[in-house]
Amino acid sequence: MNNTSYQACPECDLLIDLVQPEIGEKIHCPRCGLLLLRPRKQSIERTFALSIAGLILFVPANFLPMVGITLLGKANSGILMSGVISLFNENMWPVSIVVFLASILFPLLHISLSLLISGHLYFNRYNRNLVSWMRWMHHLDEWVMLEVYMLSIIVACVKLMSISPLILGWGLYAFITLIFITALLTSSLDKELFWQHIEQLSKDNKHAS
Amino acid sequence: MQAKQCALKQGFINCHDCGYLVKITQQLSSCPRCRSHLHERKPHSLQRTCALLLSSFFLYIPANIFPIMTVTQFGTGDAHTIAGGIIELIDGGMIPIGLLVLVASILVPSSKLIGISLLLLSVYFRWKINARRWTFMYRVIAFIGRWSMLDIFMISILVDLVDFTGVQIIAGPAAIAFAAVVILTMFAAENFDPRLLWDKQ
Repeated sequence: MNNTSYQACPECDLLIDLVQPEIGEKIHCPRCGLLLLRPRKQSIERTFALSIAGLILFVPANFLPMVGITLLGKANSGILMSGVISLFNENMWPVSIVVFLASILFPLLHISLSLLISGHLYFNRYNRNLVSWMRWMHHLDEWVMLEVYMLSIIVACVKLMSISPLILGWGLYAFITLIFITALLTSSLDKELFWQHIEQLSKDNKHAS
Repeated sequence: MQAKQCALKQGFINCHDCGYLVKITQQLSSCPRCRSHLHERKPHSLQRTCALLLSSFFLYIPANIFPIMTVTQFGTGDAHTIAGGIIELIDGGMIPIGLLVLVASILVPSSKLIGISLLLLSVYFRWKINARRWTFMYRVIAFIGRWSMLDIFMISILVDLVDFTGVQIIAGPAAIAFAAVVILTMFAAENFDPRLLWDKQ
């Protein structure tokens, strides 16, 4: 009975005899309604391509100015990192570290890990770290908060609009595109399929050696 | 009938990290697919969730009574609490944005604190509950948690942009407490094992 057809629901522990779903199908747990499997078309190829696009966009999104204001004849514009630094200089280092992790480091790590993993799977290369990368990525999922940051940019802009005209920079457009890319990335990454591929690769590797 | 369907009672452990189904044997302590430690249920789920929840309850008080940011205009400072900032937005006619901040920084954290407390109590006292509905509530709590970071990110943007000689925005002590509440409740939700809701039926 130790094969892939049996699965347990991670949220209610119901033992389910699963029929491998077709692409486009969704399988929900019959007892608690959790979405269990949703196989995606060309999951590995798309994840690979989107990770490259995400990494490239990460550069302008982080280094070009996002929003600027002018007040008293002086202009001021900000990027992701400058907010972190300003907070740090005000002795708010706990908050500044949290902002740094959730808006810069974790998104970068998440995209890099998905590039590494999907790249290895795409070229059928085995690496003994694949398993750890997958686990790190799984635990990082919740702490990538780019879309929350986007919403706070909107709220901050509305607050600032009353005191000064806003200058929207290229960094902001790159950031919005980056959010779209990461959303597509998360939805195209089929974890179950990735795990099965990794398992297969490590089996082949054992046979070879 | 329900008890029979539970994977653990049939002798299987579901891996927390990769979802692999493992038959319980004497010598197996880590998942054959992803090498992470196998646990029947999340370890010490109730104790950990309870500890994290209590800490966030205590931090929630300073987060709401201390100023979260101070606007200085030519020497005179104007301190805002979380609620004060929302009232100002609504007074200024920006009602949709005010409501958005109200949801993200007051309704979400407080409903999370209450929701996780209810989940803990229901498992501890074995309340007769509709497990499906409560699992759904858990899922909502786990999903909305991160959106409370909105206020923290907004402060980092405002502090950075509004920094002129004469006019300045400075973050207040409540920002630290509020960030801690958001993160601790996210950990609390992650440590709670919804399968406990089904086990005690």
